[in-house]
Amino acid sequence: MIKLDNICVQFGGVKALDNINAEFSQPISGIIGPNGAGKTTTMNSVSGFLDYQGTISWNGEVIDGLNPFKRTRWGLRRSFQKEQIADDLTVIDNLKALIDNLGIKGSQRKQDLEWAIESMGISALAYREAATLNTYERRLTDLARCILGNPKIVMLDEPCGGLQQDETERLGDLILKIPQLTRANTLVIDHDVDLIARICAETLVLDFGKPIAFGKTREVLANPKVKAAYLGVEEVA
Amino acid sequence: MKMTVSARVGLILAALAFVFLPMVLGGQWIKILISTGCFIIAASGVAFMYSRLGMVSLGQVALMGVGGWVMLRMNHAFHLPFEVNLAVAGAVTLMFGWLLAMPALRMRGLYLALITLMAAGGLEVIFSTFRFPNGGEGFWGVMPSVAAPFQRPLLATEDSDYLRYIIFWIVAAFLIIEMHMRTAPGRAWAMIRRSEAAAYSSGVNVVYYKAWAFGLAGFLAGISGGLLAGGLGLLDPATFRASESIMLFALMVVGGSRGWLGVIIAGILYRVVPALFNDWTIDADLALVIFGAALLHAIITAPNGLSGQLLDLIAKLSKRT
Repeated sequence: MIKLDNICVQFGGVKALDNINAEFSQPISGIIGPNGAGKTTTMNSVSGFLDYQGTISWNGEVIDGLNPFKRTRWGLRRSFQKEQIADDLTVIDNLKALIDNLGIKGSQRKQDLEWAIESMGISALAYREAATLNTYERRLTDLARCILGNPKIVMLDEPCGGLQQDETERLGDLILKIPQLTRANTLVIDHDVDLIARICAETLVLDFGKPIAFGKTREVLANPKVKAAYLGVEEVA
Repeated sequence: MKMTVSARVGLILAALAFVFLPMVLGGQWIKILISTGCFIIAASGVAFMYSRLGMVSLGQVALMGVGGWVMLRMNHAFHLPFEVNLAVAGAVTLMFGWLLAMPALRMRGLYLALITLMAAGGLEVIFSTFRFPNGGEGFWGVMPSVAAPFQRPLLATEDSDYLRYIIFWIVAAFLIIEMHMRTAPGRAWAMIRRSEAAAYSSGVNVVYYKAWAFGLAGFLAGISGGLLAGGLGLLDPATFRASESIMLFALMVVGGSRGWLGVIIAGILYRVVPALFNDWTIDADLALVIFGAALLHAIITAPNGLSGQLLDLIAKLSKRT
């Protein structure tokens, strides 16, 4: 369970996040909201990339005291809106770059690398230089990194950005497999409400840095406040 | 570990150079190639920092000066074997590299370049004020006019053997860098170059691995400075001016930073071209004009430098046949 407790983030005079409280108990949960709602800011807080007030924990383990790279070593994995794999490394070296820092050695290391690559169905790409991959293959590499090394929290920031419809569907299937592959709780941000409705059991909706709804995805999406925030219509009194 | 085509070609060329270069060249040219070789080792340090981490270091030749100073100091103070002195020169310069890294670690791009340039400027002042030890009394060890003899490695007291010794060190330097590239540091550096967010989300301790890179570049500068001291027997502050560090970096960009060929080209441009001009009784400063044009050419049309263009050309020709 990922718990966000009174998370506040201030950028100068702007309150980017205003008292976010949420307990994501489902294997896969979503965060949605219009542009500038604070979705990525929430993820960056969990990553430790920026200063925030409040407490973030996973199954009772508080991670506030850890700096960003220590959070990764602890078991946090994330992808970015623009995937961040290194072009001049091969696919497997991109995975090694992560496992190097996790203290996993010897045969276990080899086994974990193979397992992650096979789970994402990219064995054929393992020794290709990342610069030669297409967007979908890069996303798969990113996802393979996210399941590597027994993660505790996986965060995916617009995992299907720039993908075609059929690719989005296949990637959605793979994301749905994460809870079977790992013990991690997964958080997904996306603009694609269809994708969120399909893969996330629970969803938090943000607007202007404030939570406006949280609960079962279907119920949240039916909420008139959420419809108002998304479609820009005036709230029915 | 697999050997790439480029590595194989490089090792064969190095072996050929090792055997034949000292045999076919005359005295003056052997001396020139010895110093060219030293600068190639130093350039390899700047090149990997630039191509693998995207960090611009404009202090490499100044750090060579540190290595050279330590080498001369050790030589004239104790009677230790050359290799021991060289190891000390490398280690001290490595620590200088770290010292330089400290303020620089939080900076990127232009600011990092400026910090390294300022350090080079500071060292320039120190070198020209205190000069290099030549066997005199005291800590700075400078005596006027004459210089005490310099003890070369036992295996390579003659110039021709010393050139072979330098070629051995060039290969060693390239192998040390290549070894890093293929292991955890190389992968961590690639993530840092991608972005710091990418590095953090890979669990990479960014400060640690940046400091490691500075240390390695410093070590290579120290070794090359020490070898240069061995080549010449004494050192002149003018060799290590801050402008020389900028020049070496610029020529590394011209040569191409991604492989051994670019670094070799950089060294040749830096030392051999001006010497050729001297030989042909053309003003050696004219080389600067050519370097400027070459830099513009590289920046505008050849992102991988002359070596990149050369390799592309070879690839094209081999496809045609």
